[in-house]
Amino acid sequence: MTDQQWVTFAKMGSADLVRLAGEIDLANAPEIGREIVRHTGRSGAVLIDLTAVSFLDSAGVRLLDALVGDLDQAGTPIRLVVGETGAARMTLKLCAFRDDLLATDLERAADELGG
Amino acid sequence: MPWEEDPGDLYEHAPCGYLTTLPDGTIVRVNETFLAWTGYERSELVGRKRFRDLLSPGDKIYHETHYAPLLSMQGDVHEVAFDVVCADRRRLPTLVNSVLGRDPAGHPRAIRTMVFDATERRGYEKELLKARRTAEASELRVRALQQVVAELSAAPSAAEVAGAVVRAPAAAFDAAFCNVWLVDPDRDQLTAVASTDPDGPARDDIPCSSSRPIAEVARRGDLHVVPTIAAAEERFPELADTMRRTGIRSAVLLPLTTGFAGETIGAEVLGVLSFGFTEERELDEPELSVVRLLGHQAGQALDRARLYDDAGRREARAMFLAETTRALEEPYRLMPRARNLVERLVPAIAEWAAVRLQIGPAGLLADAGGPAPDQVRLAERVAIVVANGKAEFTDVGADPDCAVLPLTAGGKVLGTLALRMAPGRRTAAAEAAFLSDLADRAGLALENARLYEQERAIARTLQRSLLAGDLPSDPRFAVETHYQAAAQDLEVGGDWFDAFLITQDKLAVVVGDVVGRGIDAATTMGQLRSAIRALASAEAGPARLLERLDRFVDRVESARMATVAYAEVDLTTNEMTYACAGHLPPLLTEPGGSPRYLLDARSGAIGSRAGSTARIEHRVPLSPGSRLLLYTDGLIERRTRPIDKGFEVLARTYAGRRDSPLPGLTKGLAQTLVGGDHPDDVCLLCLSLGTEERLERSIGADPVQIALLRKDLRGWLVSHDVDDDSTQAVLLACSEAVANAIEHGYRNDPFGIVDVTATISAAAIEVEVTDRGNWKGPTGEVSRGRGLRLIRQVMDQVNFDRRDGTTVTMRRTRREAR
Repeated sequence: MTDQQWVTFAKMGSADLVRLAGEIDLANAPEIGREIVRHTGRSGAVLIDLTAVSFLDSAGVRLLDALVGDLDQAGTPIRLVVGETGAARMTLKLCAFRDDLLATDLERAADELGG
Repeated sequence: MPWEEDPGDLYEHAPCGYLTTLPDGTIVRVNETFLAWTGYERSELVGRKRFRDLLSPGDKIYHETHYAPLLSMQGDVHEVAFDVVCADRRRLPTLVNSVLGRDPAGHPRAIRTMVFDATERRGYEKELLKARRTAEASELRVRALQQVVAELSAAPSAAEVAGAVVRAPAAAFDAAFCNVWLVDPDRDQLTAVASTDPDGPARDDIPCSSSRPIAEVARRGDLHVVPTIAAAEERFPELADTMRRTGIRSAVLLPLTTGFAGETIGAEVLGVLSFGFTEERELDEPELSVVRLLGHQAGQALDRARLYDDAGRREARAMFLAETTRALEEPYRLMPRARNLVERLVPAIAEWAAVRLQIGPAGLLADAGGPAPDQVRLAERVAIVVANGKAEFTDVGADPDCAVLPLTAGGKVLGTLALRMAPGRRTAAAEAAFLSDLADRAGLALENARLYEQERAIARTLQRSLLAGDLPSDPRFAVETHYQAAAQDLEVGGDWFDAFLITQDKLAVVVGDVVGRGIDAATTMGQLRSAIRALASAEAGPARLLERLDRFVDRVESARMATVAYAEVDLTTNEMTYACAGHLPPLLTEPGGSPRYLLDARSGAIGSRAGSTARIEHRVPLSPGSRLLLYTDGLIERRTRPIDKGFEVLARTYAGRRDSPLPGLTKGLAQTLVGGDHPDDVCLLCLSLGTEERLERSIGADPVQIALLRKDLRGWLVSHDVDDDSTQAVLLACSEAVANAIEHGYRNDPFGIVDVTATISAAAIEVEVTDRGNWKGPTGEVSRGRGLRLIRQVMDQVNFDRRDGTTVTMRRTRREAR
């Protein structure tokens, strides 16, 4: 049950790509947060792909909020890629995440960050 | 004639002395012989001395009180012994006869006394007297010795022998300060075990190699007599000190040896008896021989006691080993066996014992008794013993009596047994053979338990992994299962359940039971389960499937005689087809009806040779809301009641729970019917057709559980055709409410329970989340505040009730109905 990979890491252009999948909630958000911080501490740009996330609760929002805050402060560009519909988009919209943070297309978001 | 004698010369030189005295004793005439014997001049005596004046002081009294009265009354006395004091003060032992002469008127006129030299005779008498005294003393000693020998022969133990021996010198020789030391070969020392000292024996163990006199006597094996303190000073200054301190003037140190008197070669010294005299004393040869005899008698008694002890100990050891081996067979599992071992050892053999097993990352430990030795030192020694596989019976460290033995099986060191022998027992080194034997047996027993444990764990894991597979979920049906392992430490059984979709619209459910237990049964179960999944097809149906299984067991022999209850449900028509191969009949409840057992379509167990293998199946139309229960025999079989009674109880219990929600139903049934203490595995599967109108869940206060709740809730919402947005919204709101309950209500109570109830109507979905926690403080914390805001955003009505814990009631109007 715990062998499910909620978070995986890759490179996309110059940006670090963080892929999240499955249900992100109170139970796994803190662990995922630590993983992301460990991998993106020195990134030039960070892309977080939430298209495979099937559920996102306020603990997940808290995680993303803290992450965006840290990266903004460090001047590191970040994009959250979410589907046109779906759980992640719903929750983030409900929490009024800035539109400039959200993207729907991974390639385009990577280009924007790279440019 | 040559023998003619002159009467005058005869008188003067007769072979005895003659005296004539007046009645008052005044000497008036004396012959030459008397004068020659006594050395007096005639002129010194005649007319000047009385006879009594010549006697020793004691004899003067005797003369007055006996001799004179007797003579005057009887007129004569005979063989009266007097010591005559000679001119040179020498005493001449004599025997005296006297006759009192009277005048015709009867008045005493003169006393005639004849004096014989009794020197020889008196010497002889003295000899006699002395001989008698010696004989008496010797008899006393012999009696004392006899007494000791009688006591020794009745003394079964070394301690009792010592107790008897220590009393002997006082009885035989009036000796004082007697002590007995016994040789302790295990510790190579002499231990004081008995003393006439009222304070008991000295707590003073003497190493056999010591220069002290006791050790020296034990080494040399011969009798040491120390007649004076001065003599002691020369050879054993320390003994001289002791003699002075205890007021002893002469001392005797006697080895207690095996073998017969006079034999020294091959005789073994088993102990030493020491005693002394408060005055200087020479022991004569007869006394010394008695002393030596005492040493031999005591030595033999000790030898006997030792053999007796050995025999007794060997017997006790053999019995202990046999009993322990038997006792270790009883618990199957590893830790109970290890516990059993240390608890048998303490206190019977050891005062402290510990079994350490090199199993698992931290190892296993079972110990008993105390005090435990220094842990650091022990750990070092354990590591050495594990590495070498050789026992260490003693240690050079602070705890020399602590032994560590390897527990081995098949040449592999499984762990160690460490122990310290009970006080007063022989050392571990002396018991090496016994302890090694014990460790060998324990090693085997523990290895067997470990293998059992390992196999059990593998079998359980295998079984779990096989049973854990995802069961299908579909709005049209729900499946609930429960597996409960036997409570007692038995091996896993071969019970299983399974549910799978053969096609989009055809569901198969199965419960089966493989013969046997343990890892083989678990493996076979897995094979059979896979075989059923592989053999089931849209066209075949239950009877054909069972026929194929019959062929399958020709190849997988261990699956023969497995029993199977198998049903296929057409989800479009709600028609069920089932078959039972030797398995207990399924139990069906339909809405508004009583539970009934499905007794058709029965045939023999899989691969059965005696049972009927003409496989048949039976069709039953099911109405929505029906529930079908498949189960294994552990649920109803009891040794204490007939099986039909079991069926009856199950049907009644099942009927009583007809309105219970499906989740938890199978578990509840198992708990009610078999309870916690059940000797057999129990496996249940309940299939419910149609869906629940009301979803009820109780979850523990653990964030991980929220995902499981969402899974159920999502399935339930989907089954009620709730649109996607509403489903997402309700899932989010419910998750946040439960997270709140866990993070706040139960922040101090990890065992809290959160109850979730969801109901649906044409108009709305309503979810109620209840905790019984203590919701203190602000809801204004940013993170949680965000959660509550989300709930309010996605739900149309939200109500918090915080009277007793917290109940959040949330309602969302159905969009399609808006």
